[in-house]
Amino acid sequence: MLELVLLSLGVSCATGVVSLLCGKTPKAAKTVACVGGMGAAALSFAGGVGALLQTATYVSWLGPMPFTNFSLLLNPLAGLLIAVIAALAFVAWLYGLSYFDEYYDKGIGVIGLFMNLFIASMNLVILADNAFWFLVFFELMSLTSYVLVIIDQTEKSVRGGFLYLIMAHIGFLMIAISFFVMASAAGSLEFAAFRATAFAPALATVAFVLAFFGFGAKAGMVPFHSWLPQAHPAAPSNVSALMSGGMIKIGIFGICKVCFDLLGAAGGEIGWGVLVIVIGAVSSVLGVVYALGEHDLKSLLAYHSVENIGIILLGVGTGIFGWAAGLPWLAAIGLLAGLYHLVNHAMFKGLLFLGAGSVLHATGTRNMEVLGGLARLMPWTAVCFLVGSLAISAIPPLNGFVSEWFTYQGLIGAAMEGDIFLRIVFAFAVVALAITGALAVTCFVKAFGVTFLAKPRSEAAERACEVPTPMVTAMVVLTVACVVLGLGAAWIAPVIESIGASMLAAPALPVAEGVTLVSLDTVSVVSPLILAVLMAAVIAVCALVRNVANAKAGMKADPKPWACGYEPDLSMETLASTVGANVKNFMGPLYAIRYGVNRAGQTMARLIGRAIDPEAESAAPAAAPAPKGASSRFDRDRVFGIAPAEKHAPALSNSVLSIVRDLGAWFGRMESGDYRTYIVYIVGALVFFLALIVLVR
Amino acid sequence: MFGYPLVNVLGACLIITSMMVVLARTGRAAACLYSLQSLVLVGVLASLGAVTGSTELFTWSATAFATKVVLVPAILLYTLKKIGSDAQADLPPRMNPMKSVALVAVEVFVCFVVVSGIDLPTADAALPTLAVSLAHFFIGLTCIVIQRSIFKQIFGYCLMENGSHVTLALLAPQAPELVEIGVATDAIFAVIILAVLVCRMARYTHTLDADDLCELKG
Amino acid sequence: MSIVVALLQAVLLVALAPLVSGIARKIRAKMHAREGASALQDYYDLAKLWHRCEVREGGSGLVSRAMPPVFLGCFILIAAGLPLAMQACPIPILGDIITILYLMALPRFMFSLASIDSAGSYTAIGGIRELLVGVLVEPSLMLVLFVMAVAVGSTNVGIMANAVATLQAYPMVAVVVAAVACAMACYIEMGKLPFDLAEAEQEIQEGPLAAYSGPSLAMLKLGVSLKQLVVASLFVAIFVPFGAAAAAGPLDILIGFIVYLVKVLVVFLLASVIENSVMRVRYKLLGRYTWFVVGIASLSLVFLVIGI
Repeated sequence: MLELVLLSLGVSCATGVVSLLCGKTPKAAKTVACVGGMGAAALSFAGGVGALLQTATYVSWLGPMPFTNFSLLLNPLAGLLIAVIAALAFVAWLYGLSYFDEYYDKGIGVIGLFMNLFIASMNLVILADNAFWFLVFFELMSLTSYVLVIIDQTEKSVRGGFLYLIMAHIGFLMIAISFFVMASAAGSLEFAAFRATAFAPALATVAFVLAFFGFGAKAGMVPFHSWLPQAHPAAPSNVSALMSGGMIKIGIFGICKVCFDLLGAAGGEIGWGVLVIVIGAVSSVLGVVYALGEHDLKSLLAYHSVENIGIILLGVGTGIFGWAAGLPWLAAIGLLAGLYHLVNHAMFKGLLFLGAGSVLHATGTRNMEVLGGLARLMPWTAVCFLVGSLAISAIPPLNGFVSEWFTYQGLIGAAMEGDIFLRIVFAFAVVALAITGALAVTCFVKAFGVTFLAKPRSEAAERACEVPTPMVTAMVVLTVACVVLGLGAAWIAPVIESIGASMLAAPALPVAEGVTLVSLDTVSVVSPLILAVLMAAVIAVCALVRNVANAKAGMKADPKPWACGYEPDLSMETLASTVGANVKNFMGPLYAIRYGVNRAGQTMARLIGRAIDPEAESAAPAAAPAPKGASSRFDRDRVFGIAPAEKHAPALSNSVLSIVRDLGAWFGRMESGDYRTYIVYIVGALVFFLALIVLVR
Repeated sequence: MFGYPLVNVLGACLIITSMMVVLARTGRAAACLYSLQSLVLVGVLASLGAVTGSTELFTWSATAFATKVVLVPAILLYTLKKIGSDAQADLPPRMNPMKSVALVAVEVFVCFVVVSGIDLPTADAALPTLAVSLAHFFIGLTCIVIQRSIFKQIFGYCLMENGSHVTLALLAPQAPELVEIGVATDAIFAVIILAVLVCRMARYTHTLDADDLCELKG
Repeated sequence: MSIVVALLQAVLLVALAPLVSGIARKIRAKMHAREGASALQDYYDLAKLWHRCEVREGGSGLVSRAMPPVFLGCFILIAAGLPLAMQACPIPILGDIITILYLMALPRFMFSLASIDSAGSYTAIGGIRELLVGVLVEPSLMLVLFVMAVAVGSTNVGIMANAVATLQAYPMVAVVVAAVACAMACYIEMGKLPFDLAEAEQEIQEGPLAAYSGPSLAMLKLGVSLKQLVVASLFVAIFVPFGAAAAAGPLDILIGFIVYLVKVLVVFLLASVIENSVMRVRYKLLGRYTWFVVGIASLSLVFLVIGI
């Protein structure tokens, strides 16, 4: 199987070079890149799927220097990642056959080269079994994707790309330190040596935490998410699909690999699992909350990647917790949930990004406010996007539901085992997941409804027409994948479970019986297939009965909606910001967090004094009032928009002054003279000392 | 259902009733609910007495009934009548009272974590009740912090006092009667003094809003 | 046997839904000192709508067309799966709380989508508010169900019902407090008066209903009544399972059905009394009340954790 994957890498590189050479004739370059890329993807998909059910394959070639042995390992986990990325790459190339027509004047040959290299480097990161090569390929992956992000050469994409590059390197640095910490103890850069070494617990924890944050930056979890909504939308849509669906999964892969594989001999700590779960819960909620504030379709989807990475982390965290606490069934179900959601997210997020790309292709804009009514003009795209929306909102019986079901079962099962602290953590995670689920429904009602339903709100939207066949085919393939991964869960879950079992070196857990999925620890069953049949039957009967009644009584159409007696016009339609404003009513504090973070960033920028701006003094107070003010209600830029922090970065000279002033104001607030304020301080001190007692004891 | 489980269930009822005291909209309702809470407290003391077999606790519960269920609410209701209606004894709290329920839950949890390491002379089985009694201290402070009406802030003090009562019973069930009398009279006097102060403030300033009263200092 | 029970439940709930809402209207009228329409009025309304010509409004398309059957169908399915007459789920794969909650999300999704579809501004506002009520209530409901799941050791509603009926759900106080929180969450979810969120405009209330007519409206009205009944039944099934059949004998099940009807009627009676003795909440202040539910739910969590 490894041979197939290596062959596909060769094909990718060759295709990339040829497409660069054909750069003069864009059409030829595009065709070569896409067809070659599809061939390579098919090969690596076969290799990856083949590796799922086999034992690991390991090869190693001696390098020129002792630490550069070129070792590759293809185990089931790597096989899963390779298969997922190959599937996405295949549809991305297929989609590109038409979509890249727009990029003829932007260097299609270069895109062909870098996209091929990007896919090849992702595969090599997954395969590499030596810290040196792992880091080399990781860097290659970041650089090639950076080039793809800035391919549009607009100001926005260059800025997003720059942020991406910075964050990628922060992550890279942390991963590198983590590997060197392990290497210094193991005495070699070979992963095989890491695997054999039982690290001291403190060392293992340092290595894990560094690797977790490093890979987390790549995965786009909170607090390292800021690059994701700026970089992903800037790339061509099929590259966005590949990045959001595939590349950020490398981060998850890295976390799993470091924890279960490289640090496997050392054994885990329960605290690791708790850390992963808490970060996952926060990521999922904040991701979807910020997604609700967006009206750029692709930025919205990018924020949803933050959310879904959070959900995957909840599953993986449960797995780590179960593994560390010596509960193999819990570890198995957690990993199953995490990995299943990883696959699912790749499929539906890829689908949604391609759908957004189709909208962009047909109308030339990603701004939902000026779209609308596309369902009638682009029926295929609309249906595919609807299925993707339902899947990502975890509506049964589609695939998102299956993996979230397992995530819930894992968290609840873990809570049954945990002590008082852990129960609170798991309850927090469950509630976060519930909030995420409800908000995701809201967000995709908005994304789909505002974009595809009602009436067109601009000329561009009126003139839209269905996209060419290759693009439709690509979307349909992913739609089918979403449905199959949902309905066929009873057959797919055991395979993914066996991957988890191989990571844990534990016997496989029965997760499916016949057509039903089983969660043994929580004594519960569900069957997406039977559910789908029942839903289809009941809904069909209802629809039939209604249609018979319609046929008897007749139907009429009235083109104008009822608007309380007013003449309805397009300005009365529901916009994305209508939903956003309504959500902000109740979720205000969560947006305030972001605002606060932006202010903190501003202060940092002030301290570093990166930019010189003579208007600093006037700019600082303008940014100061909290978003509570009366004027902020419809002030989109401040509440929903991208950080205003970049606008004003005051000079260093003024910063000292303003910091002193801020501090003074802060102390002034502390000393209010109200005795109740002092009581609050007393309570705070009391809690602090009580906590101290608990900790010391 | 008897023995320590009963004590713990009554402890949970203490939390619920004290929350109701904090949430009560009118001062009158708060006084009545406080009476109810003290009744639960009496139940806790009596059941604890039955479990540990200490006769002191039964006398405690009898005195607690006399002072807390009857006397203190009566004093407070009388004060309310004296203040009259123009002094706004029923001011709404400054924080959304609904949120304070979540706050109370957090406080109980923190207290449980703290007490989970303590070895109780009576039994480990009553740990939740100990947590509850400790939490009353925080609930009382919460009440004082979130209420704007100083009349309602008195209840914060009373709740803290009830908490200390239960803590004492749990930690030292065999304590002599004298201690209990000290605690009880202390509470009575404190409430009387506070009530008199509130009355006088209402008479001079015609307001019980702590925010307004803060202007008087200096 | 259990399949028959499931079918019976589904048919019974669909048949009773208009009656229950009719009774609620009757109680409302009585409390206003009016005579009010007959308790069967909802049946007459549905029958009349059923024979009316349907008008498709605005730019509405397939989503609007598909919504009423999806809405009704999903709740029929949930109704079939709840442990109402028995203390076990008649169809185990429909009895998982996660499945039930996410199955309820589909009608909400379609409902709000349809409200945007008709291109009317009032309907859409109603639809979005419907979604946000879900956002505010669902986390508390999930927390309550989490407490129950940990207390009885399963996420299956049937097992929860059985554990509560035999008084084996372990931290008793936690379960009781959870029941209170669940009752409040279900009450909000039912969309009864303080939370029905109408704000002066009749068109905003129940959102997309304004854009429907004829048989589709009839189906949707039935669906809305069924939703209220199903949500109330969910509470009854988990927290008041007393009287439901422990064994699967026909007589036990018959008694179980009768007892269930009595219980759910009592619940609706209480709900109607509350509904008619409160003022309508302003939409923006809704968050305050859901905070209360969150608080009580987290109190039950704390009681669960400390074990009382």
